[in-house]
Amino acid sequence: MKTEIKRIVIVGGGTAGWLTACVLAAELDLINSDFSITLVESSDINPIGVGEGTWPTMRGTLKKIGISENEFISTCDASFKQGSQFINWQGQTATNPVYAQDSYIHPFTLPQDFQNINLAPHWQEYSEQVNFADAVSSQSVLSKLGKAPKLITTPEYSFISNYGYHLDAGKFSGLLKKQAKDKLNVNHIIDNVIAVNNDKNADISDIETEKNGKIAGDLFVDCTGFASLLIGKHYNIDFISKQHQLFNNTAIAIQAPYNDPNDDIASCTLSTAQSNGWIWDIGLQSRRGVGHVFSSEHTSTEKAEQQLRQYLTATLGLKKAEELTSRTIKFNPGHRKKFWHNNCLAIGMSAGFIEPLEASALALIEQSAMFLAEQFPKNRSTMKIIAKRYNQTTSQHWTQIIEFLKLHYVLSKRTDSQYWFDNVATESIPESLIENLELWQHQYPYHADQVARNPLFPAASYQYVMFGMGFKSSSITKRNNKIIQQKAQQLFKENIQRTQQQAAVLTSNRELLNKVKKFGFAKI
Amino acid sequence: MATQKLVNNIDHKDTKIITERSATYGDDIWFTQTFPAEFRSVQAYYPIFFTKDENTGKFLPVALFGFEQNENLFINDGLWHVPYIPLMHARAPFLIGKQTLLEDGVEKLQRVLFIDENHPRVNTEQGAPLFLEFGANAPYLENMANMMETLHHGMQDNDVFIGRLVELELLESFTLDVELNDKSKHQMLGFYTINEDKLAELSDDDVAQLHKDGHLQAIYMAIASQSNVTRLLLLKNAALGL
Repeated sequence: MKTEIKRIVIVGGGTAGWLTACVLAAELDLINSDFSITLVESSDINPIGVGEGTWPTMRGTLKKIGISENEFISTCDASFKQGSQFINWQGQTATNPVYAQDSYIHPFTLPQDFQNINLAPHWQEYSEQVNFADAVSSQSVLSKLGKAPKLITTPEYSFISNYGYHLDAGKFSGLLKKQAKDKLNVNHIIDNVIAVNNDKNADISDIETEKNGKIAGDLFVDCTGFASLLIGKHYNIDFISKQHQLFNNTAIAIQAPYNDPNDDIASCTLSTAQSNGWIWDIGLQSRRGVGHVFSSEHTSTEKAEQQLRQYLTATLGLKKAEELTSRTIKFNPGHRKKFWHNNCLAIGMSAGFIEPLEASALALIEQSAMFLAEQFPKNRSTMKIIAKRYNQTTSQHWTQIIEFLKLHYVLSKRTDSQYWFDNVATESIPESLIENLELWQHQYPYHADQVARNPLFPAASYQYVMFGMGFKSSSITKRNNKIIQQKAQQLFKENIQRTQQQAAVLTSNRELLNKVKKFGFAKI
Repeated sequence: MATQKLVNNIDHKDTKIITERSATYGDDIWFTQTFPAEFRSVQAYYPIFFTKDENTGKFLPVALFGFEQNENLFINDGLWHVPYIPLMHARAPFLIGKQTLLEDGVEKLQRVLFIDENHPRVNTEQGAPLFLEFGANAPYLENMANMMETLHHGMQDNDVFIGRLVELELLESFTLDVELNDKSKHQMLGFYTINEDKLAELSDDDVAQLHKDGHLQAIYMAIASQSNVTRLLLLKNAALGL
């Protein structure tokens, strides 16, 4: 059992496969070591290409794998994303004038000095004058103004206002493939897997392909998407459905053109709640990616598509909105019971999939690939320990994703369909969320109520969504520490200044992207 | 109305250029662009650093005149107190224009001298005349025309020079911390300088190529020019009476 782990075989050539290959190859320094990575891509299967939104973590990931930001932006039709804007989620026009429009932003930037001070209680007394996000960070205001997160003089991957990307998933996986093959020494085999063989310990010894015969390896990564060839079909690891908590199980996607090639590009992913789901709207450089994700238990595909086209009519006019072709994707929301079994782990949709409400798909792939790269097992016996930890961490991530996504629903006051009533039914709410909601009646979310060590969503994200949704607690005891109060006042004041300064110098996304394509960002 | 016009002895027969140096005439700048061919003259008086063009993000070498916006420590009482003014600034109110001319029946693009008629230096009352009595170029204009030619070639060389510096990773960002005699501290951000560690590690081939292009000399001139920060500091202390 002291076999060294040297040969890695990745099955699947979508974004998950290539991203994992790149991260691993960069970390293991393939060029100067005796590790090998082989990626087997089926010739028959078209990658599904979900996930057009990333988190800010993607900047670090791209840098790590040696892709220049200029190249990434030009080849992937990419634009800057500063957060998500949720429209019509509250479901009622509250008496509070701040919420006259049913819309709030969950920005990527943490509240000012978040490590040291919880601004939420101090903001509460101004909640009639300014919304939470605008009070504690500049990003939501910049986003509403359609501002870019940086200047052309800002170096590659640096920022003035924290950002991730919107990207064309197909082009992105093409760029990763090129990087993996040309720069990172990853072997690429295009072939169909016809069998998976075990050794006497029930580890996968090799996969059999149509043309290339047996491909042996020490570690196998299942990136085969919904097919889940290794972890699902071969190992029969249980799938845990979460449809009873997050109902959405179907998506209709449409690629929509801009009316004018120089139309403004939104700084956030727009997420507009519908009667039985919500519509995403992502602005790339050359087009928008728009889609309706909904619960087929609550409405029909025809009805949902009609709503999507109606949404598009507002910007494109009736004729164009009717003409565009759509694609329907069905999915079972949930994840595997285990993600790493024997010498095989699943990354990407083979591990699980959930509606893209907080763009967690690519972020989770990055997390998984980084974990594997950093904790790469030296031999078969340490693999056991690492696999156990990987399963714990990944389970925690899934639990948190589901809890956090559900938070968006349970705080809604929409009453226009059974869907929204079902969403607030106690039996549909994860236990941990019920507990947290009870706690938050008496205390503001902050670091202490986070159970996980490295949570995917920090307490700040909970604050942005809760206060964005108009959450108000009735029974929080007010604390009157003078020094902390003064500190909070100062931070609020600084934030107003910073917001004004940044708004004055930053240009629109379109203007900056045009400059990037013409001049590029400098490396320093 | 276009205010940039081709310099000619009909429209501009009475035009004069005020040569006084002061804020009124746009001399209150804290740096201006420079280029390798004038580094030798520039480094005698000014620190040479690099900054990014705010419209393109491209690096530019600049000669520094002060520590903050609108501060030019070299002007005083209508004079610029050192003998060399970087050409990019000295050229005002002139610009380089392009004109298509027919030469032996062939269309040729030629550089021509334009003047910004709205520039505060431009008038008909005082200063250096552009043309002599019978329409010939005045010495001042001849001098300007030569200067613009040098500037044009300097700008072209700049693109190559900067391209090499970026490629060889010879630039690094730095923050200039300045402490005045009254102990007040000032910090200047957004400037770059030569990375001397990287410079020391260059391969023989790279060094030879830089030398051939005249850029090695420019690099060392830029490094040497940093000692002029002390001169700026003296001027600043003096200006504040410290």
